Amino acid sequence: MIVNRLIENAMTRAQGAQASLGRSESESISFENDKLKSAESAQSTSMSVKVVVNGKIGSSHTTDIQDIDGVVERALEAAECGSPAHFDFPGPKKGQNVKVYDDAVQAVKKGEMVRTGEEMMGLVKEYNTDILVSAGVHKGVGTREFANSAGIAYTTQSTSFGVEVEGQLIRGTDILWAGHGLGLKKRELDHREMARKTVALFRMAENTAPARSGQMPVIFAPEGMPVLLLALSLGVDGKNVFLGSSPLAGKLGKKVTDERLSITDNPLIDYGGGSGTYDGEGVPHQATPLIEKGVLRNFLYDLDTAGRAGVKTTGNGVGCSPTNLIVNEGTTSYEDMVKYTKEGLLVHSVLGLGQGNPMSGEFSVNLHVAYKIENGEVVGRVKDVMLAGNTYTALKNIMAIGDTAEWAGGTLLTPPIQIANLSVIAR
Amino acid sequence: MRERMEKALRKSDAEFAEIRIENATSSWVTFRGEDLDSIGSASTLGGIVRALVKGGWGYATFNDLEDLETRVQEACESARLVGKEESRFAVVEPVTDVISADMERDFRQVPLSEKKATIEEYNKIVLGYHDRIETSVTSYNDRFRKVWYSNSQGTHIEDERPDLVVSLSATAREGDNVQRGFESVAGGAGFQIIEGLEHKAEEVAKRAVDLLSAPPVTGGTYTVIINPRLAGVFAHEAFGHLSEADAVYENEHMKELMVLGKRFGPDILNIIDDGTVQGQRGTQRYDDEGVRAKKNYLIRNGILVGRLHSRETAAKMDEQPTGNARAIGYQHPPIVRMTNTFIDKGQDRFEDMIGDVNLGLYALDMVGGQTAMEMFTFSAAYGYMIRQGTIAELVRDVVLTGNVFETLQNIDKIGDAIELPPIGGGCGKAGQSPLPVGLGGPYVRIQNVVVGGRQQ
Repeated sequence: MIVNRLIENAMTRAQGAQASLGRSESESISFENDKLKSAESAQSTSMSVKVVVNGKIGSSHTTDIQDIDGVVERALEAAECGSPAHFDFPGPKKGQNVKVYDDAVQAVKKGEMVRTGEEMMGLVKEYNTDILVSAGVHKGVGTREFANSAGIAYTTQSTSFGVEVEGQLIRGTDILWAGHGLGLKKRELDHREMARKTVALFRMAENTAPARSGQMPVIFAPEGMPVLLLALSLGVDGKNVFLGSSPLAGKLGKKVTDERLSITDNPLIDYGGGSGTYDGEGVPHQATPLIEKGVLRNFLYDLDTAGRAGVKTTGNGVGCSPTNLIVNEGTTSYEDMVKYTKEGLLVHSVLGLGQGNPMSGEFSVNLHVAYKIENGEVVGRVKDVMLAGNTYTALKNIMAIGDTAEWAGGTLLTPPIQIANLSVIAR
Repeated sequence: MRERMEKALRKSDAEFAEIRIENATSSWVTFRGEDLDSIGSASTLGGIVRALVKGGWGYATFNDLEDLETRVQEACESARLVGKEESRFAVVEPVTDVISADMERDFRQVPLSEKKATIEEYNKIVLGYHDRIETSVTSYNDRFRKVWYSNSQGTHIEDERPDLVVSLSATAREGDNVQRGFESVAGGAGFQIIEGLEHKAEEVAKRAVDLLSAPPVTGGTYTVIINPRLAGVFAHEAFGHLSEADAVYENEHMKELMVLGKRFGPDILNIIDDGTVQGQRGTQRYDDEGVRAKKNYLIRNGILVGRLHSRETAAKMDEQPTGNARAIGYQHPPIVRMTNTFIDKGQDRFEDMIGDVNLGLYALDMVGGQTAMEMFTFSAAYGYMIRQGTIAELVRDVVLTGNVFETLQNIDKIGDAIELPPIGGGCGKAGQSPLPVGLGGPYVRIQNVVVGGRQQ
């Protein structure tokens, strides 16, 4: 393996080294404005080296997999003025087998991808021919070699398959863009369901409903949940905790949300977008409970941050970020959530998430695809409305947690959640 | 390289084909808190072939340059799978041009140790400013791209595109209250633009500490004055994206909404996209289809007079190409993008803009923005309430929203000077992010802006 040569080469001058090499091939098809627009094939290679010299880290990256000497040389140069290493490269440890490769993806031909896109477009058009539809279908196959100077050497293969469909409907000066997509590491994916969900978003928006300013309960659909989870995923990042910028620092074992809420970082789910047997540093992945019944249980760490903080890595290297976030299901059906709401909002997507100071938990977002609920029914789309609140306060004021979790994106599996009171500003 | 590219293009049986190859070298240094967090360098080499057959596009991207001819054939094959109608693609004169970067102090010649030392100094200033400063993120990123472009119509361009960004961020904390100050300096220029930023480091730390005692802005509808840095993101989000012709050219409803000659704002409003402004981040001599960049008026005296085009959208709308087909890198085809977008200067002095505002908001600097065509959002780094015509208390969490068909009409005063600050950040569209763009403008006053936040 090339990675072994990189390690050998680096170890002539370094005391520790890690190397990885990735190759991937992918194909995609895209439709724009009701028509097939383009077909693409992509071939890519990349190679990374990290070294520790005299206790200092240096790294380098290249796309040229012939350039073994160059990439090692540049990593060694970076190490001369590198940051102190707070870890030793780990030895081999057997990880749990997680499925991330599906033969069926390899077999997908461009013609089949075109038909998948056409079917999704057809279903949206069947509902309303005025909707201008775009769609995409993507498949990828990749191989990754990894090795380090402590004896780890392995090769993993993974696949990916994803679809998306989006419609645009213009009535007067009213423009609605809405759609649905999903990408996982297996072929099996109900693309018709993406189209049906898209149609549902348009159906609920047939009327525009007036919104008023004030406090009201808000249901976050799975794809709207990042509004509540963004601050939390930054807050459990071990590096933010160690540096003191996370508001969750010092709160392990304390109650931070409603006791019905449990959230786990779980890279061991077969075919999940963030799944895999090992993390980027060769450490076996593990499921890490973040919040259990409202109590903060763990933060996420990579090797170096764990070393600095005096704890063990959770297999979230490099970067201490979540892999797949899994929110536990509750007991209320989505239908009941709507049915028992006298006046409130239903949020599918927002504009402006993450601008400002997301770590603090404060959010202030423009509702993009969102609806008004009155007397137990969705009565229409709301527009030109801002929603504001604080994640940490909101998660203490949960009214209901949905009984069915769904993938939103490919790395978040969550039910809808209804928050008791959030601030709504309308004109 | 030129010979290899032209030889490979001869394998094309498409109506149009092009190859863009890019070699990028980059380096980075990041401090988080007192410690160096990451330091390193990268070099990438890759390319894309784009082919047009009967209105359908085929793309092939690659890192391995050995099989250039095979990649051309692959792209042609993909295009044939897609194409079903007549191709329309604006004609431009073929050009041959070689552009060398003028950096003054070439950052590729600066040792990594000096890059580190320079920002370590800024990082120390941030951390040492006050007891309440909890941590910092101070980062340096440079990238030098050499781009070779050849197409089947005889154009060959070699372009050097340097880009350099230093960002400074301070986090202040008091119990659960965590606030941030942020600044960046960026440009398509040399190392000298990020030297001597000690004062910026201090400002960033001061802002974070000051915001600890600032209340969140009370949500509601206000008269808002935005400063030049925020006016840039406003012009970009409120109107720039809607003027991109790929949102319009195959969309009959949108063509009606965006018909040239339609009024979008008051007479005092002029909005320009200009890819030729010296030293700005969105500036390049040619776009990624070999079309020369130029100054394009989008709104003149309140009236829609132009839009941004690729060669395809221009041909399909019977308008002229504008040099706005841009790609973030070799893994992507060019799509219609802004370059440097700004509201042109007006005639009002700042004192006259603020004087008659009883209760309003003065919003400064940008942290971001997003649009869904009609509705848009943009966020200020901080703001001050305006009370009885004067600047009053500092407020935080300032997020503004608007609707393109109303908000531009509500502009009633425009400042008499324009600033184009060299700030970092970039634009995202269709999975291509961040694309360096230039942002700036004058002070602008807008009536009836919905400002998010909790109510009292």
